[in-house]
Formats: sequence, structure tokens, C-alpha cells
Amino acid sequence: MSDHYTVVGTAQTRSEAWQKVTGQAVYVHDFSLPGMLHTKILHSPHAHALIVAIDVTAAKALPGVKAILTGADLPYLLGLYMVDKPILARHKVRYQGEPVAAVAAVDEVTAERAVGLIKVTYSELPAVLSVDAALAGQTLVHEDINELEYIKGAFFPQPDSNIASWHQTRRGDVQQGFAAADFVFEDELSLPQVAHAPLETHVSIAQAHPASNRVTIWTSAQSPFSVRNLLAKAFGLARADIKVVVPFIGGGFGGKAGIHLEPLALALSRACNGIPVRVKASREEEYNQLPCREGLRGRVKTGITKGGKITAMQLYFDWDGGAYADYSVNVGRAAGYAGAGPYALDNIELHSRTLYTNKVFGTAYRGFGHLETHWVIERHMDLLAQRLQIDPYELRQQNLLREGSLTISGERINANSGRVDQCLSAVASEIGWCGYRSAAERAAGIARGKARGKGLAVLHKAPAMPANTATGAIMQLNEDGSVIMLLGATDMGQGAYTVMAQIAAEILAMPLDKIKVSGEVDTDHSPYDWQTVASKYSFMGGNAVIRCAQDVLRQLKATAAQVLRIPVDELAHANERIYHVQHPEQFVTYQALAMGYTYRNGNAIGGPIIGRGTYLAPGLTNLDDNGQGLPALDWTYGAHGAEIEVDIETGEVTVLKIASAFDVGQVLNPKLCKGQVIGGVMQGLGSALCEEYKYSPDGKLLNPSFTDNKIPTAQDTPREIVPILLENPQADGPFGARGVGEHPMISVPSVIGNALYDALGINFYELPLTPEKIALAVAKLARP
Amino acid sequence: MLTNFEYAKPITLTHAVQCLAEKEREVKILSGGTDLLVALRRKQVQPALVIDIKGLKELTALTYTPGQGLSIGAAVCVNRLAEADVVRQYFPALAAAARVLASYQLRNRATVGGNICNASPAADLVPPLLVYEGVLEVVSQRGSRRIPLQDFFTGVKQHVLERDELLQGVFLPDTTDATGATGATGATGATSATGMTNVTDVGGLYLKQGRLKGHDLSIIGLAARLNAAKQFRFAVAAAAPTPLRLFALEELLNAQPFTPALAELAAQAINLYIHPISDVRATAEYRRHMAAVFVRRAVSSLVTAGGKQDG
Amino acid sequence: MAKHVITCGINGAAISAEVDSGQTLLEFLRGELSLFGAKEGCGEGECGACTVMVNGRAVNSCLMLAVEADGCEVKTVEGLAQGGKLAILQEEFVQHDALQCGFCTPGMLMSARALLDRTSDPGEEEIKVAIAGNLCRCTGYLPIVSAIQAAAKREREETASE
Ligand SMILES: Cc1cc2nc3c(=O)[nH]c(=O)nc-3n(C[C@H](O)[C@H](O)[C@H](O)COP(=O)(O)OP(=O)(O)OC[C@H]3O[C@@H](n4cnc5c(N)ncnc54)[C@H](O)[C@@H]3O)c2cc1C
Ligand code: FES
Ligand code: FES
Repeated sequence: MSDHYTVVGTAQTRSEAWQKVTGQAVYVHDFSLPGMLHTKILHSPHAHALIVAIDVTAAKALPGVKAILTGADLPYLLGLYMVDKPILARHKVRYQGEPVAAVAAVDEVTAERAVGLIKVTYSELPAVLSVDAALAGQTLVHEDINELEYIKGAFFPQPDSNIASWHQTRRGDVQQGFAAADFVFEDELSLPQVAHAPLETHVSIAQAHPASNRVTIWTSAQSPFSVRNLLAKAFGLARADIKVVVPFIGGGFGGKAGIHLEPLALALSRACNGIPVRVKASREEEYNQLPCREGLRGRVKTGITKGGKITAMQLYFDWDGGAYADYSVNVGRAAGYAGAGPYALDNIELHSRTLYTNKVFGTAYRGFGHLETHWVIERHMDLLAQRLQIDPYELRQQNLLREGSLTISGERINANSGRVDQCLSAVASEIGWCGYRSAAERAAGIARGKARGKGLAVLHKAPAMPANTATGAIMQLNEDGSVIMLLGATDMGQGAYTVMAQIAAEILAMPLDKIKVSGEVDTDHSPYDWQTVASKYSFMGGNAVIRCAQDVLRQLKATAAQVLRIPVDELAHANERIYHVQHPEQFVTYQALAMGYTYRNGNAIGGPIIGRGTYLAPGLTNLDDNGQGLPALDWTYGAHGAEIEVDIETGEVTVLKIASAFDVGQVLNPKLCKGQVIGGVMQGLGSALCEEYKYSPDGKLLNPSFTDNKIPTAQDTPREIVPILLENPQADGPFGARGVGEHPMISVPSVIGNALYDALGINFYELPLTPEKIALAVAKLARP
Repeated sequence: MLTNFEYAKPITLTHAVQCLAEKEREVKILSGGTDLLVALRRKQVQPALVIDIKGLKELTALTYTPGQGLSIGAAVCVNRLAEADVVRQYFPALAAAARVLASYQLRNRATVGGNICNASPAADLVPPLLVYEGVLEVVSQRGSRRIPLQDFFTGVKQHVLERDELLQGVFLPDTTDATGATGATGATGATSATGMTNVTDVGGLYLKQGRLKGHDLSIIGLAARLNAAKQFRFAVAAAAPTPLRLFALEELLNAQPFTPALAELAAQAINLYIHPISDVRATAEYRRHMAAVFVRRAVSSLVTAGGKQDG
Repeated sequence: MAKHVITCGINGAAISAEVDSGQTLLEFLRGELSLFGAKEGCGEGECGACTVMVNGRAVNSCLMLAVEADGCEVKTVEGLAQGGKLAILQEEFVQHDALQCGFCTPGMLMSARALLDRTSDPGEEEIKVAIAGNLCRCTGYLPIVSAIQAAAKREREETASE
């Protein structure tokens, strides 16, 4: 599809790769500043308890200790949507692992020793550890929920409850829809909390410059401008007083969106008269202090005709959001308009409740709730097909969103919206889908000891972002005619900078290697970007870069018009030159124009070429009380098809092949795009097969380490991952492109669950699908 | 940075045991360090003196003497076992276990002695060392003694070594000998069914189940061996507070006719002899299930191998 | 803290340095030698981000004391590129997009280097086993496996033509 472009659509290698393979790439993990202090944190040992007293006397007396802070010193509350989270626990602790006190000292050993000397007296409270306990509301995680500040109109905390936000979506009439159905079926599915597990743990360094309000933060964060914004709000600082610098990031996946260790680092640096302070999470803290992906219980009730046409659907999503709302209320909101999957549903009632519990809190995680909701919906679709005895492929095809359908928030899908039906048929043909195997085939597989099965699942996701989300780009031409580009988004390895450079090269008609993206975001220098989340950057950043490059061209042409004495509308550009459309020999090079065109006598015109481009998603709206509105910048549709083999005795699943198709509109860089798919599928397989937070009955996290909270290794890879990229262009996307960063993870667990049914005839309703769960289920089947 | 300790690397055994005899200070032996450094980091141990034993040549030797056996120095690293021809050929269950212990780079550091002395219920090398009827050689300033491996463990992370004692190595009697008897305790001394001289083990294997296919601690591990006299030996990891040799199961099987039916018998019986618990890694139910699966697979494969040998 | 003087080779250069007994090799490389390539992802032997080669073998430098490196030859990712040119293995990592965030990459490269030093033609499964101790959350591993295979092939061709 990309023959008409020269750089866009080509498989360029990532621009910063050489730094990464030589060990030269510097992460905050590698940073240190002269005199920098080190921090250790005292964590709550209880899931829910009152803090009766804290005694830091002995710790303070330890030589080398520079500052000790407790909640009493930090009367701030933070929060993106619900302002509910103290920097250090105040009055009470709400999850085991919550920071209670922090010590800054000359080295980690001293800080750790000091932490050991802090004495805290707690008075334990009953803990809320399940969705049901949260809903029952006997114990409140936030006893002050009625007083909390929050973004009104977007979130709906319920008084005197553990419901941080309750989103409702209503279209059509579900009662009528159920009445019109031949059958009504109900299912309940769930999945536990899991970890992002970036290889670089969270780390921030803050320096509060003494005698001024000025602060500098170096942090491993996805969203420097959000960090600045939230810090400014919490500490009452001017935005311009805060400088946030983000160098290379060792993985984020949503866990480094928002704000995490930065406020504590800043508070400590302030307490130490501006000496820089580093707060670095250990792997254990990464699990039990820093946020995870929220758990979910989904209940779905569907009315359907004999032929498989869905007439109504009612959904309850109950999110185990943990102790603080963070992003999980917004995850809950996104489920409100996307949680029913890419289906045309005329009658829908959907409730999405983000609940407070006394567990590690949830946040954004690649997929932003969609992996979770698709686990419910895409397993439910197969369960419906089984009950009706129709092919789950056909069932899906019959109900998918198509041109002219309305989404559940009332958006009309049009010819440029992308084609989920094509994604589904692409993966079905790739894995050779021909319906569920027969009971006899299944029995034969089980008898062989190795049962094979295939499965399908579709998906969709739009960026979950405020209606007024914006981004910007700045370009400057250098003396040699090369370009340096400043962007506000971070590149965590998704390849954003490489792709943006490709877009710029395409518009400017110049070689890619002459375009450099400044590899470090610095809120003092970089143009604004809301956050690097939500798979929206290729789209929004791409459009901003196009506009920025066009601005550069406009400036080049304005000066060239004078130099060449040709009207601007008769100028064209190519090969780093501006020339007359009819007489290309009349040209001037970009280089000659870069700093202003200089005549022989030294006289110069024009000036340094500095372009700017911005993009603000037009036409998006908030959702109304019935969840209706236009929240989606673009929908990226996709589908997975998988063939698996199950060792029926050990319960181990081997993925033989997984095909993943996405309608990306236009591939901007096939190499990086496929990289996103392969990496995302693998991460999805982690959620599918092994990842899970496990708690003791009193709410202690039992597996805060890689030892017992495993992520897949190279030996756990599928035999084959087949990325399939469809290109039905998005009219307003850059070159027609849509985002695909998160999507490869979504519905991977569903497709494995569906394939397991095909293989074994057993339906699983809870993730992860561990060898243990599978083997014991098979063994039960065998027992009379 | 780990907490304060002194580090010594003796190059003679005499010096090493002398260091260990120190009474006033807490002393810890450092072999590969893959358990010890984690414990130091987590402040589970805080020794004043750490003695690195990798400089002792007695502890780093791996020697096989035909007709006698294999002598493995305590500081021999796991990858050496996995790669050594003599181990692969004559002690295949041990080589198999060595190949699945932790990750490749960890196996370059982790040692046999560390695996034994760490006394984890899930120690992967221990079941094979048990089925090969390993005998530990222990030294101290007070002299030396030999301890059959099966008498070594007393509980989770507990064993019979005194604080001044050093594990020097483990000796495995040869699996190739004229009588088919296996020397150490528990052996029946029966002659080989085929009556051949100089026969070898029929085979040995180690089966391990983790939570995923990549490196993980054992949810359950089973070593099985069929010796030249067609006598079974079994031992398990992560199925009891200590790794366990399953004498009773062996007796049960060894008393039966040597047929494929033994596999099912073993699977039915194994759960009488193990005591797994439920923990964060697995439930006791799955451990029991897998013990049966593994012993069925192991016996069936060994019976097939034994049958082929006869044929 | 007890101090020890160690002598070792670091990427081919002999060095002599004083180290604390409680210092890990990883801390020594990063803290004293400013070799920041090796990373700490867990500090407990699980993730492999700290992998370096000691006497030709891949090890987790977080689980080794700096004093234990006395008399050893240590190789880190910084020692791979020679004469201002990327090594074949590094080039293939770049070509196959075997890295995203890059945090696991130095350790991954060292596990791969050690593998290719002991076998010039490793099979796919062998590669996966060799890098299973190196966690990567970004790439899904398959591009890394391809990169190592491609590097092995090029290195074999290079040796053959020498
Ligand atoms: C990431 C990771 C994964 C692991 N996976 C596995 C696995 O899959 N299977 C498994 O079995 N283990 C596993 N382990 C545990 C560990 O690697 C093994 O137990 C290893 O064999 C220990 O050997 P070492 O030489 O490193 O022991 P060290 O840490 O050196 O020593 C362990 C203990 O034994 C003592 N000791 C060591 N040598 C002697 C001696 N000669 N005499 C007396 N006492 C001694 C030490 O003082 C210490 O208390 C894993 C560990 C890690 C960190
Ligand atoms: S840091 Fe060494 S293995 Fe994770
Ligand atoms: S590239 Fe990010 S962890 Fe491997």
C-alpha cells in the first residue's frame, strides 16, 4: 500500500539502537549527581490499619541520615482523576507495601539501617480484599470518600461506599431486547491483578533548588508533562518552576504513566536543603508498592436469537482497583464505551465500577482495561456459540461492527473506520479455522496425551484520553540543512522517534538520516505532549509532525520565492531543494535557506527555519449520563487466531501458532510495527498463562518477586507469531495510520481460553490458565 | 551493597577448616553464592566472615574412576555436571537435573555443594544424588566423616552439618559394575537379570515441573533410576520438607514382575509416600497429581529401556 | 567494611582496584568503573539484566562479589564493539529489531556472546535455553532469537573466509 511513499512504510531500524547495543544509552537507573542522597522506604506490613504512632528518634540519630519524612510532614493528596493518594500514608495504611516513612541518607546501607530503626504502632482494621467485600461496603477503604476531590462529570464516586467511580452506558432498551431473544445466557469471568514488570524499576531523582521554587526532576516516566502538571498541583508550584527530564526509559507499559516516586523525591530533596535525592524502587517494591494492573470480575447477560443475532446485552464490570484510584477509574470509564467489544449492540446496559480494595492499587497497563474486558466478552462469545451450536467465527461475523453501525456510545462507524471483520477472516484463514473440532477428535487428542485446539478472538481499542488531548512538535533546520526535531512524547522502545523522523522525512522529501529527534524529553525545552499512553502518539504526534514539516516547507518556500523570484504557488520541493515546478534547474537548497539566505555581498534574507506543528483531537466529547458521546480519536481493530497444544497430564500449553491481525490504516514502519505485535502478543501470553498477584488471607502480597511472580522467558515463546497488518486508511490519520501499541496484548488470553475449549472441551473462566489449573481440570474430567 | 563482612579465600583445606572453627564470629561458606548472596541481600544472614571455597582444589575436582564411582567436589558448578561426558553417560539423571536447574548463567555459578547445603526442599540436584546413593564427605578441624545423603536433611533448610564443618564433596558409587549391586544402603545386592557381567544402569532421568517452561524452581521434581539389576530408585524434590528418597515405593515396585504395568502401580502408590504442601507455587493437589504423572512417565520409559536391553 | 585489592582484566585492559568485600561485581562495574551497560533489574539472579562474561562464561554479576573477580577476565557489553565499529552480534540485534526499551539488551548480548563462543551453530532451542535467564518484557524474544541465529551465521561465514 505504501508504494507511493518513499520513507513512510519502509522497514527502518530504530534510530537509537546503536546506543542500546553498546551500553551507551543512559537511563535514570544509571544517573547520579554529585552529593546525591539515597532513599529507603518503610512499608506498611498490614493491608489496612490505623497508624497510631511513629517514632523516628533512633533513626534520625544515625550518622549519615539527612532527612526522614512521614505522612505527617506531607499534607498533600495526589491523583489524576480522584485526588485520594498521600505521598506517604497519613493516619492509616490502605495496602501492604504502602510507604509509611522515607529516609534519605548518604548511602543505601545507611538509609536501610535507619528504616530498620523507625518504630510504627498500628492498629489493624478489617481489610477489604475482594470485589464482593468492596461492594458490600462494610468496611470503607476511604472513609473520607465523600470529601475527596475528583474530576466532576467524568467520574462518579458513590457516597459512603468503596465505589471510586460508577460508569453507566445505556442505549436502546435491554428489557425489550431480552424479550425479543430466543435465549438469554449469563456468564461470569474474572482475572487477577498482574504486574507491568518493566525491566527498569521506577526511579526518580529530584533536586529542589534552595531559596527558589525551582525544581528539577529526572525520572523514568512515560509522561513528563503529566508529572509536571500533577507536581505543580500538589505542591502549589508554577508549571514553569518545574523541569522534568526523561532520558531513556527501561520499559513502561502504562506503569510509568502518571506520577509515582517523583513527589517523594522532591519532598526529600526539599527536606535536605536542595541536595539531590534519588528514590529507586527495588524489584520487590515494584511489585508491592508501585501499581499493577487492576483485577476484574465481569458478569455478562446476553439475549440472542437462535440464529446467533444478539438482541441485548447487560454487563457488570467490577474492577478490583486496589487502595487508590489512580488510572483505574479511567480504565473503568474506557470500559464504559469499549467494554462490550467490537460488536453492534442495539440494546445495551453496561455498568463499570472501579472499586477500592486494600490491595496494591491499579493503574494503566498496556491495553487499558481492554485485555480484561475482552477476556470477558470474547470468552462469552465462544460460550454463546457453544450453547447455540454455531461456529464462533460465524457468530462473531454476524454481530461485528460494520460501516453504518453505531458503537455503544453512539458513534457511527464509517468506511474509514477500519475493518474488524477483515481482521477476523485474516486470522481465521491463517490458522486454518474450520469450526470447533468434534467430540471424537477431542477425545482422540486427550487420549494421545497432547490435545490440540484452535481459537479466535477479536478486539478493538480507541485511545482513552480527555477530549482536549494535544501534542506538539518543533523542528529546526541546522546550518548543513539537516533537521533536529523536538517532541514531547517519550520513546520507551515503541520506536516513536524513528517513526516521527520517517514522517518528517517523507513530508520534507529528504533523507531519513538527516533528521534527528532529540532523544531526551525536557519540559523546559520540548513541546507539550499530554502523555505517552493510549497508543495515540503515531496518530497525534504524526499529524503534529506533518504540520510541523509543512510549516518548515512554508518558511523555506517563502524565502525561496524571494531568492528565485518565483511565486510561492509555483514552487515545489524534492531532494532537499525548493525549485520551480516547470524549471527544476531554478532551485535553492534547504541548506542555503536554513539560517537565512545569504547573498554574495553578505546581505541576508529569511532567517533560521524553525517549524512548529500541533495537533488537538478535534470533535471529541465527554460522555453524557448514559455514556453517550464521542470519546474515540480512532478505533484500531484486530483479531487473534491461535493453535495450541496441551499436555493433558502436566497441563502445559504450547502455542504452536498465533496470528495477529490489526487494521493499522497505513503501516508507518513494518519492522517496528511487527515488533510491537510480537512483543505485545508475548506480554498477552503472560497474562494468559502465568501472571498473577497472590495474596494471603490477611492481604499480604505473597509473590513480590520474579521468583514467584513469573513473566514469560524465551523458552515460553510460541513456535510462531504471525503479524498481519491490514491497511484500510483512516482519513484523518497521518498517511492514513492508526495506533497499534497496546492492541497486540488484547484478547490474547481470550484466544487461548477459546483454543483450550476446542482442545479439551473445558471452559475456563479465570485467568491465568496455569498448567496446574488445566491439569487438574482435565483430571477431574477423567474421574467418574 | 551487602552488609559488612570480612572475606577470605583459603587455598588449603587446612586453612579453610581453621577459619570455620572460629567460634566468636558468625562464619558463612561461600560457594557459587547464588543462594548466599540473595540471603545476604535480604538480610536473612549477617555473617562477620565469609569464606570462599572456590580456591580449594579438593572441592573443584570432578573425577570418575571406573568401577568405583564419581567424586564431585562441592564447589563444582552445575554446568560442569550438565556438560561432563561421564556424568551424562553414567549418571544421566544427575546431568538431566543439572540442565534444568535455574538459568544458564546461574548454572555457571551455582554449585553442587551449595545446592545440597542450602537444603531447600526443592533442590534439583538432590533427588538424582539420592537415587545414585550419594555419600557426603565432610571435613572439619576435628577430622572427617562420611554421611549418606539420605541422612543429611533434617528439615526445611536444615541439615546435620555442624557449624565448623565443610562439605568437601559427594561420592556416587559407580553405576557400572560387575555385580549390579550398588554398594550403598538400600541396595538389594541382587545380580543382574541377564546375568551379564560389567553391566550398567538401564537408565536414569529427572523430570521437573515449573510454572512456566523457562527457568523456575521446581513445583515438583522426580529422579528415577533403573539400575543394572533392574531395581528402581526414586527420589523427589518439593514434595516434602526435605528432598526424599522413596524407599517404600522402590520396594513395592522391585517386588513385582518387571512389566509395563509397573508404571500404573507406581502412579497409584507414589502419593502414599510423599507429603507435599500448598504454597504460593502450587497446591498440594497439583504436586500430588504431578508426582503420579512423573513416576508413571519415568517408570514407563525405564521399563521400555529395560525391555529393549533384554530384547 | 573490609577492603581487598583485586586485579582483573576488564574488556581486555588490566586493572587493579580496591573493593569492599560486600560489593557485588555489578556494583563494582557500575559504581567504580562507570561501566553502566550491565543493569540491575532484580539483584537476585532472576532477570539477567546484569549478565557479563567472567572467564568466558556468562554470569549474573549481581550474584557475584567483586572480590571473586580477582584474577578473572571480565567482559561487558562495552567490550563488544571494537575499533569504533559494532560487532556482528550488535549489528544483527539492530537489524532484527531485537531490542525495544534496550534495558535487557546489554545482558542479552552477553548471554548471546557466551553462547556463540561455545557453539558456532546453535539451534533455536539452544538459543532459547541460553537466554531464558534474560528476561525481556518488550520484544517477545523471537526477534532476539533471529538476531542470534543471523549473527552465528555471519560469524561462521567470516571464520570460513579467514
Ligand atoms: C534465580 C535463581 C534461580 C534458582 N533456581 C534453582 C532451581 O531451579 N533449582 C535449584 O535447585 N536451585 C535453584 N536456585 C538455588 C541455587 O542456585 C542452588 O541451590 C545452587 O545450587 C546453590 O549453589 P551455590 O554454590 O550458589 O550456593 P551458595 O549460595 O554458595 O551456598 C548455599 C548455602 O550452602 C552453604 N554452603 C555452600 N557450600 C558449602 C559447603 N561446601 N559446605 C558447607 N556449606 C556450604 C552456604 O553457606 C549457603 O548457606 C536458584 C537460585 C536463584 C538465585
Ligand atoms: S540484576 Fe542480576 S539477575 Fe537481575
Ligand atoms: S527491550 Fe525492553 S526489556 Fe528487552
